[in-house]
Amino acid sequence: MSVPALILDRVSLHLGAFALHGISFSIEMGQVFVILGPSGAGKSVLLETIAGFNRPDSGRIFIGGRDVTHASPETRRIGFMFQDYALFPHLTVERNIGFGLRGRQSNSGGKGNSRMSALLGRLGLEKISRRKPTNLSGGEKQRVALARALASEPELFLFDEPLSALDVNTKDRLRNDLKTLLRDLGIATIYVTHDQTEALILADRMAVIRDGALLQVGDPAEIFNAPADEFVARFVGVENIIDGRVVSKHDGISEIELENGRILVAADNGAARSSHVSACIRPEDVTLTSDPPAESGGARNHFSARIVNIEARGPVLKIHLDCGFHLSAYLTRQSFLELGITKGEKIYAGVKAMAVHLIERP
Amino acid sequence: MRGANPLQSRGLLFVFSLAGGLLLAFILIPLLRMYTTQTPASLMRVAGTADVMSAIWLSLEAAFITALLAGVLGIPLAYILSRMSFPGKRVVEALVDLPLTVPHTVVGIALLYVFGRTGIIGAPIDKLTGLKFWGTTGGIVVAMLFVSVPYTVNSARIGFEGVDSRLEKVARTLGAGPWGVFGRVTFPLALRGVLTGLMLTYARAISEFGAVIILSYYPMTAPVKIYDLFLQTGLRESTAMAVLFLTIALILFIILRQLARGIGYQKDRDS
Repeated sequence: MSVPALILDRVSLHLGAFALHGISFSIEMGQVFVILGPSGAGKSVLLETIAGFNRPDSGRIFIGGRDVTHASPETRRIGFMFQDYALFPHLTVERNIGFGLRGRQSNSGGKGNSRMSALLGRLGLEKISRRKPTNLSGGEKQRVALARALASEPELFLFDEPLSALDVNTKDRLRNDLKTLLRDLGIATIYVTHDQTEALILADRMAVIRDGALLQVGDPAEIFNAPADEFVARFVGVENIIDGRVVSKHDGISEIELENGRILVAADNGAARSSHVSACIRPEDVTLTSDPPAESGGARNHFSARIVNIEARGPVLKIHLDCGFHLSAYLTRQSFLELGITKGEKIYAGVKAMAVHLIERP
Repeated sequence: MRGANPLQSRGLLFVFSLAGGLLLAFILIPLLRMYTTQTPASLMRVAGTADVMSAIWLSLEAAFITALLAGVLGIPLAYILSRMSFPGKRVVEALVDLPLTVPHTVVGIALLYVFGRTGIIGAPIDKLTGLKFWGTTGGIVVAMLFVSVPYTVNSARIGFEGVDSRLEKVARTLGAGPWGVFGRVTFPLALRGVLTGLMLTYARAISEFGAVIILSYYPMTAPVKIYDLFLQTGLRESTAMAVLFLTIALILFIILRQLARGIGYQKDRDS
């Protein structure tokens, strides 16, 4: 296997109100690694430490196998993408890109010119090469920033919430453009965001960060389906977290006793060793029916519920249920109309045992 | 746009405009009144006097050197103040503004103790290099610099503060070292603030009288020469030179402002 594009080995840092605690992870060549976390979790501090703007108190950083722990930012071969992309406002598109070309001293003279036209062509910027950044659209800015970074021949891209200030439609479009571009370029990338959708769409691998420490590192599916703790679960959109106790295990099914009810869980869905657990159920995994279900499959939970509240959530509706414990479910507008439910009504909620994930309670 | 703007009230707009108008009249009337005392012929006559012209030229020249020195010494401090916080920063800021509050004759006396014939800097420099600060252009520049350098520091600082530090970071990742970042990103983006500061310093330096006259009565700068004419020959001769000097200075500033407009990055001007 080739050398990882980036290795962080127990990097710790204290910087005013922020700190990083023993951060370790590695990224393979061409991989997009998303770091998901709330604001103030240390995402930007981590990126700026990798870029060389902060010196770690301890730990080491390797880029492409080189130990860059004590190297200055200009020698690390990093393409840094800030929110709104921070293009040089006093320079034209061409000269923005030229800044990166000039930065790498190996490129000079005619070679620089041909690299410039190659970059302009690759990112479709020929027609706007003489414009200033203020006159560019969001998508154009994104491509100029990528071209400028590419000019300096980076081994690693760092994205610091580049899309967070944009409206939803623009954001969707730019994110999809970016995904395609990153796949094409094949340069290892760290992308930090507080937006779980962004993480799901872009990540090959991902991590969740809180208070300067990584809580979980893994494949997006793994983190979304099997969060390591309650914080991760909540942050990746698990809205139902119900405390309980494992009372039995047989035929690959664990039975969890809740304060007010029971729930069946596929036995290998987490928290194997502990009996004090929390059951995690994503609201989109809850199905609602107006008639009581036929008792057929054993690996399915059925709860008789009362509708406490109905909340509009854009394309879906969030239904708050009282099943003896609180449960929330998402319904599409279409299903909602077909069910014809109202607040206060009785209904039946179903959750597959496979869709429940257990986390240990401390 | 209609809104909460108090100037939409006619009464308030009237009172405020009246106050503003009075202020403008207060500035303009004395200067205009002075012009009415002169004819083109009287101005030509005073312009033909060699020592008058050499005094005006000396003022412009010394102020130019002052602005250059203010730039060399003031721009680095302005950048430090815009980007760093350190213990005692408020003291440094107060020191930068101090020359604005000290009476200029007091400045002249204080400088005499340092740059004068027996001054703690003036004497050794004289001994080592022969450069004197009393009764020379050097002395004039020293006096001008002391009273006018705060404008360069403060205005350049505002310019630097307007430069997004993320641009500097991006430039580093693109392979530019600290000097390269300052030269290719920070300074060009702050240039308008810097130029405004240098121009204010230049204007303030040209008009300095109190500190200059104590440190270097001779060679005479224009303000000193005007005062000298006032003492020697009375109001009429000094008024002619005053009008001539004012006219030259105004034309010079109009030209400089026009030149500066085309230079440097301005946020709202890209189109």
